[in-house]
Amino acid sequence: MSKWQQHIGNWLTEHLELPSDVVLELPRITTIGQLHVYIENHRGIVLFSDQELRLKMKQGYLKIVGENFVLKMMLPEEILLEGKVTQLLFINE
Amino acid sequence: MKQTQGVFFTGYVTIQVKGHHPEFFLNFCMKEKIPAWNIKKMDRETVKCNIRIQDIEHIRVMRRKTRYKITFVNKHGFPFLTNKFLRRKPFITGLLLSFLFVMVLSNIVWDIEVKGVNPEIENEIVEKLNDYGIQPGSMKFTVGKPGKIQQKLLKDIPELLWVGVTEKGTTYYLEGVEKTVVEEEEKNGPNNLIAAKKGTIVDMFVSKGKPMVEVNDVVEKGDLLVSANIGKEEEDEEGKAQDRELVGAKGEVIAETWYKVKMNVAKSTTYEVLTGNKEKSYSLNIAGFTIPIWGFFSPDFANVKTETNEKPFQFLKWELPVAFVETTIYEKINKKEQRSEQEARKVGIKQASQDLQTELGKNAVVSFKKVLHESTENGKVKLILYFNVREDIAKNQPISQGD
Repeated sequence: MSKWQQHIGNWLTEHLELPSDVVLELPRITTIGQLHVYIENHRGIVLFSDQELRLKMKQGYLKIVGENFVLKMMLPEEILLEGKVTQLLFINE
Repeated sequence: MKQTQGVFFTGYVTIQVKGHHPEFFLNFCMKEKIPAWNIKKMDRETVKCNIRIQDIEHIRVMRRKTRYKITFVNKHGFPFLTNKFLRRKPFITGLLLSFLFVMVLSNIVWDIEVKGVNPEIENEIVEKLNDYGIQPGSMKFTVGKPGKIQQKLLKDIPELLWVGVTEKGTTYYLEGVEKTVVEEEEKNGPNNLIAAKKGTIVDMFVSKGKPMVEVNDVVEKGDLLVSANIGKEEEDEEGKAQDRELVGAKGEVIAETWYKVKMNVAKSTTYEVLTGNKEKSYSLNIAGFTIPIWGFFSPDFANVKTETNEKPFQFLKWELPVAFVETTIYEKINKKEQRSEQEARKVGIKQASQDLQTELGKNAVVSFKKVLHESTENGKVKLILYFNVREDIAKNQPISQGD
């Protein structure tokens, strides 16, 4: 069922030029150098510490590794992370 | 970012959340739509974050559902600052007192400066002002308006020709001009006295000069009454005026003169009379809103005349939008009077004789003789009146000595 949904989503984004993050419910991640990471459309924090932020996504997790992490802002569906980012990892289960 | 903008003004707190897996608490916040910022992980079990004041209630509710220990670490923002500020009672009272003090002091007359007059009159002015209650130390709103002070001073000090009163902050500046008595020139040249008007001479008092007319003579305008020549013209017989001696003729020639006066008198008139009943009320006017202090009930007068006297409070040199208002309500009666023709005539005669009197001066004796013509038109009585006046008709006529 979800596979079939994803299929339609993919087709929609390709042929109707709809933004993929909205249609496919994927996170939108914006980074400004190593300083900031701005994540929208996530599914909650799994882990947060000085060196690591792990967010749940629709599928799998997003792992951000670095130093001196501070959540500059935490709004429903939006997170702004500040610190020195070294890695961004997508973990698919 | 919009959520944390201006957060200083609404106030925010730093809280510390302690418990197993505090990330869960953060997720909870997100679910409840509570924005948080500057989130720092202190150690494995503690997280510090900032939240808005209005979200504290939500957090409390959440805390009951979960098992986190929440402590308030710090308070920031305007509401806390003012609280802190307001809690210092001595400071606040001091501040209020100083405001009050300055306000009271700005409403006191501090100085009176008199300029432009000699010390004697200056002293008199100051004394008079003291009598009115204007002196250094008196409250400003008990002092009347500069215009009124001006009038009073002019009335009470006859030596003053003009006085200007200006109120500048807490100082009253008075500038006076004295009447300088100009001595009349005594040495005027020789002159005759001639008749200014037509009339019958009734009485004569000649102090200098030679009278040329006698009592009961009728004189025309311009006739010679008293001659300046008191020389021996008569003795000379030849009519030569060689030895003539000229003086400034002086004297009074009282004559009876006649005046015709036209008058229009309305048969019905309305006029307002104050009955003398009055009611005073006091109020404070704050930026257009009036707050009564005394005299809440308006008197049940049918017709009223209201007089308001507004005196603004001052703070330093500025006028505050607060004013002390004194309102006096007088009872007024509109009197309507219907006059009969006879009464109208009486009024007309009285009015006319008064007018004549003021025109001719107080030495003239005005006496009414008769009504020459009377007609009624459009509710008005038209009168032509005939007056008999005894007055001084002598007028100076200088003689050029022809040298």
